[in-house]
Amino acid sequence: MTENRYARLRKLILATMILVPAIPFYIVMGIGYYYFTTSIENSTMASMRRIVEDHRQMIDTFLRERKSDLEFVAESYTFDNLADPIYLYKVFNLLQNKSAAFVDLGVFNEEGIHVTYQGPYKLIGKDYGEEDWFKEVMKQGYYISDTFLGYRRVPHFIVAITREEPGRKWVLRSTIDTQFFSHLVEKVRIGKTGEAYILNDNGILQTQRRSGGNLMDKDADQVVGPVKHEGTETFLKKNQNGEEFLYATTWLQDKKWLLVVRREESDAFRDVRSATYLILFINVVVGVGIITAAFYLTNSIVRRMEEIDTEKNQLGQQLVRASRLAELGEMAAGFAHEINNPLQIMTSEQALVETIFTDMIQKGELKDSQDLAELKDSMDQIKLQIGRCARITQAILKFGRQSEPVSRDIDLVAFIPDATNMIAKKASVNGITVREEISDRTPIVRGDPSMLQQVLLNLYNNAMDAIMERHGTEGGELIIASAPDEDGKVKISITDNGIGISPENLKKIFSPFFTTKPVGKGTGLGLSVCYGIVDSMGGVMEVSSKRGIGTTFTIRLPAAPGSEEEKG
Amino acid sequence: MEKMKMMLVDDEERFLETTKKLLERKGYQVATAVSGSEALDKLQKENIHVVILDVKMPGMDGIATLKAIKNRYPLVEVIMLTGHATVESAVEGLKSGATDYLMKPTDMDDLIRKSEDAYAKRQVLEEKIRVAQARMAQRSPLEILRDAKK
Repeated sequence: MTENRYARLRKLILATMILVPAIPFYIVMGIGYYYFTTSIENSTMASMRRIVEDHRQMIDTFLRERKSDLEFVAESYTFDNLADPIYLYKVFNLLQNKSAAFVDLGVFNEEGIHVTYQGPYKLIGKDYGEEDWFKEVMKQGYYISDTFLGYRRVPHFIVAITREEPGRKWVLRSTIDTQFFSHLVEKVRIGKTGEAYILNDNGILQTQRRSGGNLMDKDADQVVGPVKHEGTETFLKKNQNGEEFLYATTWLQDKKWLLVVRREESDAFRDVRSATYLILFINVVVGVGIITAAFYLTNSIVRRMEEIDTEKNQLGQQLVRASRLAELGEMAAGFAHEINNPLQIMTSEQALVETIFTDMIQKGELKDSQDLAELKDSMDQIKLQIGRCARITQAILKFGRQSEPVSRDIDLVAFIPDATNMIAKKASVNGITVREEISDRTPIVRGDPSMLQQVLLNLYNNAMDAIMERHGTEGGELIIASAPDEDGKVKISITDNGIGISPENLKKIFSPFFTTKPVGKGTGLGLSVCYGIVDSMGGVMEVSSKRGIGTTFTIRLPAAPGSEEEKG
Repeated sequence: MEKMKMMLVDDEERFLETTKKLLERKGYQVATAVSGSEALDKLQKENIHVVILDVKMPGMDGIATLKAIKNRYPLVEVIMLTGHATVESAVEGLKSGATDYLMKPTDMDDLIRKSEDAYAKRQVLEEKIRVAQARMAQRSPLEILRDAKK
């Protein structure tokens, strides 16, 4: 039942000690982790989105400018003007002054015949009537091609527009070096793996890609979907090798080209990942710490409670026993007192009988005879036995009394030998050599002499019991020593070569009711009473013992005031 | 010399009876009383020198009786008879004017010896009183006057 109570208590304390710190801690960690990762993700995405949008702006502006340059030329000059090579040369120079991106400039008639051309190639007179771009420009009014390398292995694309004059429709075409904006795109670098490139709607690379993929190569990652979205889109996608990429894409140039900014997910969220590992690690460490501390504290609390309970129980039992003992003492005292009255009467009666006998003998009424001698002997015996009873009752009354201790100066130099003499007979009978080593300089102490005597006699008797247990009736040795100790104290030691005390018993030796003697032999009160007496005299009592070697009890008492000077 | 006259005070009648017989055989005059009040009555009627007084009695107890005796008859010697082995009750008795104490069960020889001692003490005291009274009587009126002037 008690075990169960401790187990319940233990569970309760343990649960409280783990949960109370752990719950707020993990909530705080969780909230912190959530907001940290969300904000990192958002800012990563936002920066990619911004890069995409900035670049789209620039590229779109570039393309629009080139287109409007051509439109301006077409609006400003007639077919006839531009069909003149010298005129075209001038116009081309003007264009090149405005933007170095213009590589060449050519004029085509309605049939697709290259009428005039200003540029690095000999293209005049060629028929482009069946070319896709020509058909497209005739239909749409303008045309921007995909990128191509051309003869010089430099990425180019063409811009063409149509111009309608009364009775005539003609086409102005220019090749544009993409270096300007491909350089801009290829320059983009975010973190370790962040890059930007342009694809056409068939997934063909329009710019160089740093992580691999040349111009005009087909992009294997299939970023271009069937639907051409408005604005910027962000998404996650795995490449062929299973590496996950974070993408931000936007369509350029009338949705013909797709600007892609991508970054490896593991790179983009490297900080998040390391933060996650760190948080996990801290969580585990703290969790282990909390649990360890909780177990440790709970164990010590429960153990302490068990100890207190045990002590309480022991104390209660001791109290009950002590009060019973006190009752018994009182009863014995009352009993002894009552016995004294009849004993008094018996004493008187016996004395009277004896007197009568003496008188009768003197008067000669009784003659000396065997019978008379026996009667006399019997009378003496009655007197003797009454005396014995009286001694018993006195002893009981002495035991039961509770008198105030008297305080007197005790000269140990004389006092100790007196006490030792009381056991001298018992010691010699049991073959115990008693040696006294009483220093003449032993200071005087203050206390109740009969109590101090009780202490000494108790220790002597214990010592002799221990000696007899080991040596029988020869070879015993008991040494009583006294000497001044430091701090104005007196040291009295009683050493025997008896059986000794085991360490576990040594711990309990001054506890009340602790005894190693057989049932009925010892009350277990002797040493605890001695301890109490020494304590009441302001002293301390210590014991040291080795099993099989012997025991020393040491009493340290404060010297009586003034005794120092007396004894020197 | 006047023979010692004793009184035993105890609630045990058989003790009184036997002890009285014994003491009378030894040649003492003995009165008895079973209570403190009876003892006081008898003291009023008879000239008693030594009282053996039990400490523990029903009604008026030994110490109260002792105080009453000493109050009224300061010359009466009282020996306390205590059933306690405690020195305390004896000490209290002695402080209240008892001459001596005996512990129950007391030996008859001890009782007689202590009574004789007490009686001797009383006789010394009475002797002193007599001498003092005699000196007073012998002094001349002139001497008395001179003393008074000092």
